[in-house]
Amino acid sequence: MAVGEPVPRPHEAAEDVSGSPEPVGRAPAIRPFLLTAGRVSGGGNAPPMPLETQIVSTSAGLSALNSLTFEHRDIVAACRWPESVAELAARLRQHLNVTRVLAEDLCAAGYLEIFVPNARATQDVSVLRRIIDGLRAVPD
Amino acid sequence: MVSVPSPTDRAHSATPAERPPLPVKLVIAGGFGVGKTTAVGSISEIRPLTTEAEITEVAAGVDDLTHTPAKTTTTVAMDFGCITIDPTLKLYLFGTPGQERFGFMWDDLVEGALGGLVIVDTRRLDDCYAAVDYFEYKDIPFVVAVNAFDGKVAHPLDEVRWALDIAAHVPLIVFDARKTGSVRDALLAVLELALSRAEAATAT
Repeated sequence: MAVGEPVPRPHEAAEDVSGSPEPVGRAPAIRPFLLTAGRVSGGGNAPPMPLETQIVSTSAGLSALNSLTFEHRDIVAACRWPESVAELAARLRQHLNVTRVLAEDLCAAGYLEIFVPNARATQDVSVLRRIIDGLRAVPD
Repeated sequence: MVSVPSPTDRAHSATPAERPPLPVKLVIAGGFGVGKTTAVGSISEIRPLTTEAEITEVAAGVDDLTHTPAKTTTTVAMDFGCITIDPTLKLYLFGTPGQERFGFMWDDLVEGALGGLVIVDTRRLDDCYAAVDYFEYKDIPFVVAVNAFDGKVAHPLDEVRWALDIAAHVPLIVFDARKTGSVRDALLAVLELALSRAEAATAT
């Protein structure tokens, strides 16, 4: 190391990279609720998306990843493979209802696809038989 | 560029818009500490995850018909896991919190569920009344499963059925929440009930 070159102090490194003095770390728990602006899943008219609803990023979403910020970015990045909304909320440590609202926003923007399960399809006799056969194969 | 901490440890080759599996769910209910999370963890292919959800509480003992019952929302922690049946079908197991003091509205959590497993600790039967009532009220197929802590059940099943006032058509079984095979069989009991009901519905 050249003599006289300033040695960056470790805690300054993050500021240099981001160019922002914003503290890095977990944001206060209240912030996501402000992000949803008090909105609820389904706009308050439709029932909220079920817990097992599958969410997957679109190629548009993954292309736009670098332009997205915070929770939006986290959600699109986490859904490269299909995830249930419950898994997504748990893995990102978001409140379930916040994840629901943000996912709906991202879907409207074309960044995510949301697959709401059809109750008639899931309670179909052939589906039930497939689940039973699959579960029977689970070893002790 | 700041890298986004990935919550999963999967490789990052982007295959966008992959067709997701058809998700189906079972609900596992019962009082606090009765073994719901243990049961989920015994059979789930992922370590049980926890998410915070809101449920509606209806305050008990509100008899005044001139007022709507006092409803409040409570945030509860809910544990869940999953089992991939095949690439097109995935079973989710959701452990719902239960309490006896209030009536809980689990509609948000239970909507679309194939059935329910109500886990009972015979030392604290009170804790599962709310779950039994709820599934009966919503007409969701359910099985009551006594968790045999230490391999023992404190009371004969007949007494448990009588004490809980469970209808004769509701299966009552004993299982061990720590054992994969035992949890599998308990879930199969729920699914077979759901199947026989679905078959009866299609026959009419």
